[in-house]
Amino acid sequence: MAEEQLVTFSLGSEEFGVDIMRVQEIIRIPPITRVPKAEDYIEGVINLRGNVIPVISLRTRFGMSRVEETDLSRIVVLQVQSKVFGVRVDAVTEVLRLDSEAIEPPPPIALGMDSQFIRGVGKIGERLLILLDLDHIMGGELSHDVSA
Amino acid sequence: MSQNDNKNQGVDLGEFVEFYLLDSQEQIEKLGAGLLQLEKEGGNIGLINDLFRSAHSLKGASGTMGFTPIVALTHAAEDLLDHLRQGKMDVSLEMIDVLLAVTDRVKAMLAQVEQREEISIEFQDLASTMRELLDGEIAVEAKDPQIPQAEAEEVAKFVPQNFELTPDELEKVSDAQSLGHGVYQIDVKLGPNTLMKAVRAVMATQRLEGIGSVIKLVPSIEDLEVGNGEEFYMLVNCDEPREEIRRELLEISELVDVVVHLYPNLNSPEEANLEEDKKVEKTPGIDLEAAPETASNTIAEEKVVKPAVVQKAKVEPKIVAKTSGANEAIQGEGNTQVHTIRVDTVRMDNLINLVGEMVITRTRLVQIGLDLKAQYSTDVMVNNLNEANVYLGRLMNDLQESVMRLRMVAIGTVFNRFPRLVRDLAKKTGKEIDLVLKGEDTELDKTVVEVIGDPLMHLIRNSVDHGIESPEDRKAAGKSEVGTITLNAYHEGNHIAILISDDGAGLDLEKIRTKAVAKGLIGEREELSERDIANLIFLPGFSTADVVTDISGRGVGMDVVKKALNNLGGMVDITTRKGKGSTFTIRLPLTLAIIQALLVEVGQEIYAVPLSSVLETLLVSREDIKTVGGLPMVQLRGNTLPLISLQEKFDLPTPEDESSEVFVVVVGFGDKALGLIVDELRGQQEVVIKSLGDFLTNLPGIAGATILGDGKVTLILDIGSLIQDVLVTRRS
Repeated sequence: MAEEQLVTFSLGSEEFGVDIMRVQEIIRIPPITRVPKAEDYIEGVINLRGNVIPVISLRTRFGMSRVEETDLSRIVVLQVQSKVFGVRVDAVTEVLRLDSEAIEPPPPIALGMDSQFIRGVGKIGERLLILLDLDHIMGGELSHDVSA
Repeated sequence: MSQNDNKNQGVDLGEFVEFYLLDSQEQIEKLGAGLLQLEKEGGNIGLINDLFRSAHSLKGASGTMGFTPIVALTHAAEDLLDHLRQGKMDVSLEMIDVLLAVTDRVKAMLAQVEQREEISIEFQDLASTMRELLDGEIAVEAKDPQIPQAEAEEVAKFVPQNFELTPDELEKVSDAQSLGHGVYQIDVKLGPNTLMKAVRAVMATQRLEGIGSVIKLVPSIEDLEVGNGEEFYMLVNCDEPREEIRRELLEISELVDVVVHLYPNLNSPEEANLEEDKKVEKTPGIDLEAAPETASNTIAEEKVVKPAVVQKAKVEPKIVAKTSGANEAIQGEGNTQVHTIRVDTVRMDNLINLVGEMVITRTRLVQIGLDLKAQYSTDVMVNNLNEANVYLGRLMNDLQESVMRLRMVAIGTVFNRFPRLVRDLAKKTGKEIDLVLKGEDTELDKTVVEVIGDPLMHLIRNSVDHGIESPEDRKAAGKSEVGTITLNAYHEGNHIAILISDDGAGLDLEKIRTKAVAKGLIGEREELSERDIANLIFLPGFSTADVVTDISGRGVGMDVVKKALNNLGGMVDITTRKGKGSTFTIRLPLTLAIIQALLVEVGQEIYAVPLSSVLETLLVSREDIKTVGGLPMVQLRGNTLPLISLQEKFDLPTPEDESSEVFVVVVGFGDKALGLIVDELRGQQEVVIKSLGDFLTNLPGIAGATILGDGKVTLILDIGSLIQDVLVTRRS
């Protein structure tokens, strides 16, 4: 428990980390089928080798502005409580190990995003890594004080 | 034997409990259905024999497992049936009631067993009621509690070991048994301080190899070496008499005790010979195919016997896997040969998924073939490829159909629980009702069968409660005092229709109308056909209780029934005639897995419309679309067809240059029709329905998704919900 292994990715200038054990795979952006009347943060569904899985736009989920797809855009396929879904990110940056002691609880006013998505903040030198609480990314109601 | 002995303590019977439950539940269903038939038809010796056999094998199996309360009840029931069989008693209503009570009680006990609980349900009262029913002389015999219990004790001595047999070993066992060789479980006890226990086991094995073969030894030699158990168990195949085996083993020093049991026959789950009922080796059915951990409710079995009488039991409400010859019904003297195997549903679902994937891949091949043809139209090889594709397509269709058939179950498995329900309800309400079942052989997908039971039950309850009148009223109305409820099923295209009709009073349409107006569900002067009025009872908030009849309602509202059926892609409709009765008609798709779909284009997106709901497609000029009350309509052969624009419905941007003509896909659901405005028609295709997963449920207008030949995901429209949507908007 002294160490956590994380997959890190970026959304704009922020860097995020998720537990590597939850990451099933990382894929390029395939054609995404929009799903009418679904929650706005659900970008649509994709075909993952014969299975239909939903894809979340993390930017929309965190109240950030949309950006064009680039060469670096990826979908991180996650498995949370046996449910599989993808999150769309700007770029996957690296896989790293983080000392448990370098992880601090989320600050009360969390970086302009709802703190329910945040498990903690990791410090690597000067870099700040936002560790995501995946259980709340899908489902879990957003509170309304999120802006920006 | 005391209550505490209800379970064989300390022995892991888990593996056997599943088999036991499966078998016993089957027997108890048989018993229940048979009793109802007995009530109807009176003493029929074949039937009584069947019942007796069921009770008997239940008793035997329960005894083996040590479930004394079940043994006590079934033993008494068996005695009663035995008297019937020998003509010492006549069938009486009282007796049927008691025996039905026994089936209920045993069912409850089995439920406790299933929960791995101690059986705590009272049984002495019923047992003594049954004893009272028996005449004096034999009552003495039956009163002797030693009889069932002693027997239970005797059979309980043999404790089947969990040998954890591999498939290979299982095969050895069943092969040997089917060839008539003896297969024995040998319990060997070692002296308290025996050294080198493993060596004893090896010696025992060697000795037995001389006269037979050892299939399995538990614990293993390695475990014996290190462990300090004083027993080991062997599973052997040997033709020597048991005494001989025992003598052979006892020659080894320090083997204190050797007991040889006949191992349960893996090939005959059903106990065959009634004459041997005092034998020790009775066991519940053991099934080769099913993995031990398979929950009993996922395993399937289906009788192939066509019901000879209307209510002949087809017992198992589960899935079917028929062998090729299964359609030829085999009628035997009560005990029928079952040409079926049990297959784990997971394996079958896997197979179906694979076929689904193949269908998708083939669609892709066809696309590639067409692309090649466009590019190299004269190349012979391209033509060959396309020919092969066509042939492959035909094979795929056959394969798919065969695989889908594996999932088909006769609806009789659902119908069979209703005779009892109607009987009990009729008794409670003081009515006389005949339930007639028709078309029980009609097959539909197991996924549909699993969920159709509850809605049907509610409708039948409704018919008994509100439909059929009391005998006095019926007499006054000049009808037979006995009311009839008919349950009928038949195929209608790729739908199944289920009809529930009663010859009761019919719905009081005037009253329904008044009520609907009072509740503000319809306008006071709104013109509605009789059928529309009748269908009002499916609206939420429309309590059937104080409208249709004055019996205070129990059960759920009709809107719940309707909703459950809609969720399955089905619908329900009523026709009614005052004084003559009502008929509820349910229409359901046969399968929920693969459908024919019409692909349509809306803006940049493609949607799939289930072909079963498509009535026709039209090319309509925009000028012909009129807006009535804010909603678009078009005149079609003199009728007004309501339209919806999928582009608006699904929040797509309006294109800048609208074409002057649009395609309208006319879809129907029951007698309701609706036109979907789309940009293009892309042709029809077979699609495999995929779920959108747990995160995306209850999306309005979307039933699911599918993957097209190009690998893209396409959404499948939910016509039922679209039509309902329009109707609701229109009404409000």
